[in-house]
Amino acid sequence: MPLQQLNSNTFEEMIYDKGKPCLVIFSRKTCHVCKQVVPLLEELQPKYEGVFGFYYVDIEENAGLFQRFSLKGVPQILYFNEGEFQGKHAGLVDEEKVEEKIAAVQEA
Amino acid sequence: MEDANNSYDLIIIGGGPAGLSAAIYGGRAKLKTLLINKGTLGGMADTTREIVNYPGTIKVSGPDLMGDFAKHAESFGVEFLKDEVVGTDFAGERKKVTTKKKKEFFAKAVIIAVGNEPRLLDIPGEKELQGSGVAYCATCDAEFFEGEDVVVIGSGDQAIEEGMYIAKFARKVTVIVLHDEGILDCNKVSAEGALRHEKMEFVWNSTIEEVLGEESVEGVKIRNIKTGELTEFPCQGVFFFVGMIPSTQFLKASRLEMDKRGYIPVSEQMETNLEGVYAVGDNRSKYLRQVVTAASDGATAAVAAERYIEEQDSFQLKVLQSEKKVLLLFFDAFNHESLEFSTSLEEVNLELPESYKIVKIDMATKKNLAHKYQIDKVPSVVLLEKGLEIKRLNCCTGKDKLKSQL
Ligand SMILES: Cc1cc2nc3c(=O)[nH]c(=O)nc-3n(C[C@H](O)[C@H](O)[C@H](O)COP(=O)(O)OP(=O)(O)OC[C@H]3O[C@@H](n4cnc5c(N)ncnc54)[C@H](O)[C@@H]3O)c2cc1C
Repeated sequence: MPLQQLNSNTFEEMIYDKGKPCLVIFSRKTCHVCKQVVPLLEELQPKYEGVFGFYYVDIEENAGLFQRFSLKGVPQILYFNEGEFQGKHAGLVDEEKVEEKIAAVQEA
Repeated sequence: MEDANNSYDLIIIGGGPAGLSAAIYGGRAKLKTLLINKGTLGGMADTTREIVNYPGTIKVSGPDLMGDFAKHAESFGVEFLKDEVVGTDFAGERKKVTTKKKKEFFAKAVIIAVGNEPRLLDIPGEKELQGSGVAYCATCDAEFFEGEDVVVIGSGDQAIEEGMYIAKFARKVTVIVLHDEGILDCNKVSAEGALRHEKMEFVWNSTIEEVLGEESVEGVKIRNIKTGELTEFPCQGVFFFVGMIPSTQFLKASRLEMDKRGYIPVSEQMETNLEGVYAVGDNRSKYLRQVVTAASDGATAAVAAERYIEEQDSFQLKVLQSEKKVLLLFFDAFNHESLEFSTSLEEVNLELPESYKIVKIDMATKKNLAHKYQIDKVPSVVLLEKGLEIKRLNCCTGKDKLKSQL
């Protein structure tokens, strides 16, 4: 299933107002590394249904969000809990790393 | 466990141009073919913005060309699986492949087409600052460095071409080159363009030792390899293009022969040292690593694999499942004695009350079978019943003695 897309309004709402633990991938259509990482998240998502959010930000459509976190490059997966930034993964990652990080965020 | 669902004629590992071409030929030859690829189909060629040297296509984007390769393979009934191969067992006649998602597949022949991956320099700061200024893909990341200072490490085709692309966005691109002034590893056209480029500068005889910065890249430490002098150079981005290494790590335990760097040596038919296992494209030892040569390798290997499978199948049918007892005769067309012996054996066979089925094996072309039956000289004869060895004949005798052995 495709990841839920966020724009700057829904980003505020999901990350800060709701504050549930989640991850957001910053990605773009023309990046081949993103094309490998996004499907991996899509596959993991159902396993965490209801307990951990999976979101997607297209940086070409939402340049502001990208600049706000002063990121340099895609893909980047940012992790949040209770509206607080919990760390990130840059570039190519595998599902084990993502699952480890999710577990760490859930425990914190 | 092997069953009808995970059993194939041919498994191809890797879906770049080499693997996809093998798939086209395998599918067209009606082999039941599975292609396992971990990334996006098209491999390295899928990451290339522009390909201008694939015959018949004057200019095409990598993803477009690879999309066509994939569609072509699909049209011949090839199955695709997105997964990573992590283990192999090539010892037996059935080749086994294990994936990261813990699936097992079996095939009569395997083609390895896993290509290359970028080499990491493994210097302090490289990993830590990945995505915070350290980058490997210009198409993905160049525009995040709009108006900034970027360092590129390397001077091969990729480094120089990607460097020029980054220069469209960056204020200045500084290329760190190992060689003496004026010497770049890339092709001439790119070298001339880069050396003339107003936004590109070069630091010669140098490498970098460390990426500096806490939260994001603030600079690099450059070492001059001639003088040993260290300088700190401020920049906001560092792109690494320091060459490639073959993605053959996962084959280390397979007894597959590789050179020091991990490239697989092959014969003209793309055969490796292991029977029924072929290697094609960038992961084999070769002179030119391009899409056109990858495609050519793939075609060759698929045809060689098809012949190999056909031989295996026909041996199975004609010899191992034969109702009649079989005399497996190993000969060599250039060995006169073995040819004469062959004639005598046929004559003797006709005189027997119950004749055998004689199957002749040319040692020169069927090395695999010779190896399987541990034959080291011609003529040699193995007597088989229902596929099992009953005995070996003494071939250095006259017709009568030969007859008495049968
Ligand atoms: C920047 C750049 C520009 C280039 N420009 C050109 C050009 O203009 N013209 C040209 O002809 N060539 C060009 N090349 C070279 C060309 O891309 C390669 O020679 C070609 O892609 C090699 O094909 P391949 O199928 O052998 O390997 P690859 O294309 O590397 O494909 C290998 C595939 O195998 C997969 N894989 C790896 N390990 C496993 C595993 N364990 N399990 C499953 N799958 C696995 C990978 O994900 C990948 O999809 C360029 C290369 C680069 C880097």
